[in-house]
Amino acid sequence: MTGTTLVGTGRLVRLILRRDRVRLPLWVAGLIGLMAVSASQVQALYDTPAKIIGYTSTMRDNPALVIFAGPGYGFDDPGVGVILVNETSLWMALGCALMSVFLVNRHTRAEEESERADLLRSTVVGRHATISAALIVALMANVVVTASTTVLTTAVGYGFAGSLALCGSFGMVGVAFAAVTAVAAQLASTGRAALGLGAALAGLAFIARGIGDISTSWLAWLSWSSPFGWAIGVRAFAGERWWAIALLAAFSLAVTAAAFELSVRRDLGSGMLTQRAGPARAPRWSTTPLGLAFRLQRGALLGWTVGVFVTAAVYGSVGNQIEQMLEDNPQLKDYFAALQGASITDVYLSTALRMMAMLVMGFSLSSVLRNRSEETAGYAESMLATATSRWWWVGSHLVVTVAGTVVVLAASGLGVGLGYALVIGDAAQVPRMLGASLALLPALLVVIGLAVLLFGWLPRATVAVWGALAAVVVIGIFGDVLRLPGWVRDLSPLQHVPALPARPWQTLPIAVLGAAAVVLTAAGLVGFRRRDLTGA
Amino acid sequence: MGADAAVRCEALIKTFGPTRALDGLDLDVRVGEVHGFLGPNGAGKTVTMRILLGLLRGDGGRATLLGGDPWADAVALHRRLAYVPGDTNLWPNLTGGEIIDLLGNLRGGLDETRRAELIDRFDLDPRKKARAYSKGNRQKVALVAALASRAELLILDEPTAGLDPLMEAVFQDCVADARAEGRTTLLSSHILAEVEKVCDRVTIIRKGRTVRSGSLEELRVLARTTISVQVAHDGMEIAGWPGVFDVRRDGVRVSFEVDQPAVGAVVERLAALGIVALESHPPTLEELFLRQYDAELAEAGVHQ
Ligand SMILES: Nc1ncnc2c1ncn2[C@@H]1O[C@H](COP(=O)(O)OP(=O)(O)OP(=O)(O)O)[C@@H](O)[C@H]1O
Ligand SMILES: [Mg+2]
Repeated sequence: MTGTTLVGTGRLVRLILRRDRVRLPLWVAGLIGLMAVSASQVQALYDTPAKIIGYTSTMRDNPALVIFAGPGYGFDDPGVGVILVNETSLWMALGCALMSVFLVNRHTRAEEESERADLLRSTVVGRHATISAALIVALMANVVVTASTTVLTTAVGYGFAGSLALCGSFGMVGVAFAAVTAVAAQLASTGRAALGLGAALAGLAFIARGIGDISTSWLAWLSWSSPFGWAIGVRAFAGERWWAIALLAAFSLAVTAAAFELSVRRDLGSGMLTQRAGPARAPRWSTTPLGLAFRLQRGALLGWTVGVFVTAAVYGSVGNQIEQMLEDNPQLKDYFAALQGASITDVYLSTALRMMAMLVMGFSLSSVLRNRSEETAGYAESMLATATSRWWWVGSHLVVTVAGTVVVLAASGLGVGLGYALVIGDAAQVPRMLGASLALLPALLVVIGLAVLLFGWLPRATVAVWGALAAVVVIGIFGDVLRLPGWVRDLSPLQHVPALPARPWQTLPIAVLGAAAVVLTAAGLVGFRRRDLTGA
Repeated sequence: MGADAAVRCEALIKTFGPTRALDGLDLDVRVGEVHGFLGPNGAGKTVTMRILLGLLRGDGGRATLLGGDPWADAVALHRRLAYVPGDTNLWPNLTGGEIIDLLGNLRGGLDETRRAELIDRFDLDPRKKARAYSKGNRQKVALVAALASRAELLILDEPTAGLDPLMEAVFQDCVADARAEGRTTLLSSHILAEVEKVCDRVTIIRKGRTVRSGSLEELRVLARTTISVQVAHDGMEIAGWPGVFDVRRDGVRVSFEVDQPAVGAVVERLAALGIVALESHPPTLEELFLRQYDAELAEAGVHQ
């Protein structure tokens, strides 16, 4: 790596900052805001030692909570800081990681697919400048998140060292996954595939940490196989181990070096895995709008189905440990009292299914946005100049989106059900969990409908529907910590689905959600039928 | 008249916010002809074609395509036409052959023998993924898909952009074949030699308005013939004759331009002066075209 390979990095950094002048500040501000509000709410909620002890004794050694929150370092002598770590650390790390994955892919592999990349490289831009610029911006974004959240958390009244360790740890996870995505961008053959690879690696690392932390067996090493595990291993507010942050930094540097190395071994616009010649004729089924839509989306559908199934199976297979813990730990009595008769296992399972549904919503949105990306890429123009009607064209992608959502959602139910059925030896759990997961479908359809509505009437704002997913996730995961008022929580369609299997089935809310989805979708289709095709 | 119009636009208007892309455009394409659609960058050619395809909705005026309404009857009309867009964007992970089949089937089937023949004539490798094609080869995929259809109307937006001269010649043959079969072609292009070769009639537009329309002969009448002559003596008095412009001395010769209707009278008067040598050439489309843009060039501050 000589100096000349980096020429032009500064200009590219400015270009990225300009192109992402809306997107990036939204991510950064969203993450900072989430952390700041969480910090102050936790502070207000756990204002006496008794309440803090109450929290830690409920959480401690509860595998269901360990898997979603962390192992609870410092619970032996707890301060309010360890509660903050337990509530925010992993999710903030996941948020920073996803921000980096999207950012780096967008400005490296995905960008290469446009003709702009060639144009840029033909100007004075060094070979490593593109990757460097994307990584620098990712670093800047994560540093801003870390610095701001550290200041805000300290300002709310937490200790400085602990705040810095906590905020630094999740910021560094963001940096680490920026580097990981830079490598994925070299390996994958398309921007879409690189994005999938980066996100899948983040998800895998997230799950691996969870399995490691609840395992007492040989699998415990998994905690230390994952950047998320290292972030938790920093032990903020519990005798900080700063070397774990150094470990994250070293990992990021090593992976970045690998990305640089790989990038010189391939041509612009291609992946490491070279393309072979394809078929000269198209199979008949793929030359219809529906066939094409399926063909374009089947790779993503397969990836999501497998990823969601595996994740769900992991969450399902820890279900039995909850029963065991119930026998061992009388302190949980209070916690059960709040469940109004439902078994703690069922509450856990319904929580797991809901988390899975949020993940599935990620698939649904990326799938429904395909209409818009086909339009901006100019493919829609070719399609709609044939005897394909507008209804049929949007409808085909929508059919794939809805059918795909059912498949991925079913995979989540089957995964949780199968995992749980295997560990407790009760096959009846499989259909039970499958049914409970599919009950969440109308909530997903509402969000899909919202995307179609935007696509029909405000096409350039269609991507804003990711904001709806962010809102659903914040309400679902942070609703309690943030003490969000009821009407805000009611905005999330997931909140209206009865929490099966912990609660009984209710027809009315599900029917209302289904009807809302139909109305939103129909309104969006009418809008699209009337509007011009537009570019980006 | 209505029956033999494949495309008719009357006072078509299209605005994008403050931009008036089409400002009362007229276009008349007769059944069976090859119609050239010319105009400087940003004149509105692509916008017109996209309105004709129902991809955009006109804000005013009327457009008729094969006797139907391009917006309301889009699907039925699209069975009868094939379109090659200006920016050829192809699904990067499909092969050229797959894309030809896809677009062909979506248009209601393609002619198998013609498909094979065109792939051969254009020397296209149909097994390559679209992302691996060069620009010219991507263009060929779109062209083969359109030409292999049984469409009665071809709408081609700068179809030869990126083709090498050999392939350009193949394309011109294909358009001639299409005309021989009775198909209609609307062709936008910046390559005037090509338009001159293949088109029966042309429409020239500027800033969203039609400035000229007619057969090449008709348009030539509106333009000036260039004459370069050597006469017995000086000859500069020619400058005073009616219908004569731009008189220049060129060594022993005098060159000037003559309005088409004045050509006969000018030649007679030259004969009276005693012609030693004379050369004349009719206006090329290029000259015609440039003359139409004179006004625009002047506005842009270009002086000739
Ligand atoms: N979607 C759009 N939004 C805003 N303005 C547009 C849009 N499409 C076209 N225009 C404007 O309409 C005008 C006509 O554009 P058009 O693409 O039809 O030109 P053209 O004649 O095809 O030019 P070229 O020869 O460069 O292809 C231009 O000023 C262009 O900027
Ligand atoms: Mg154009």
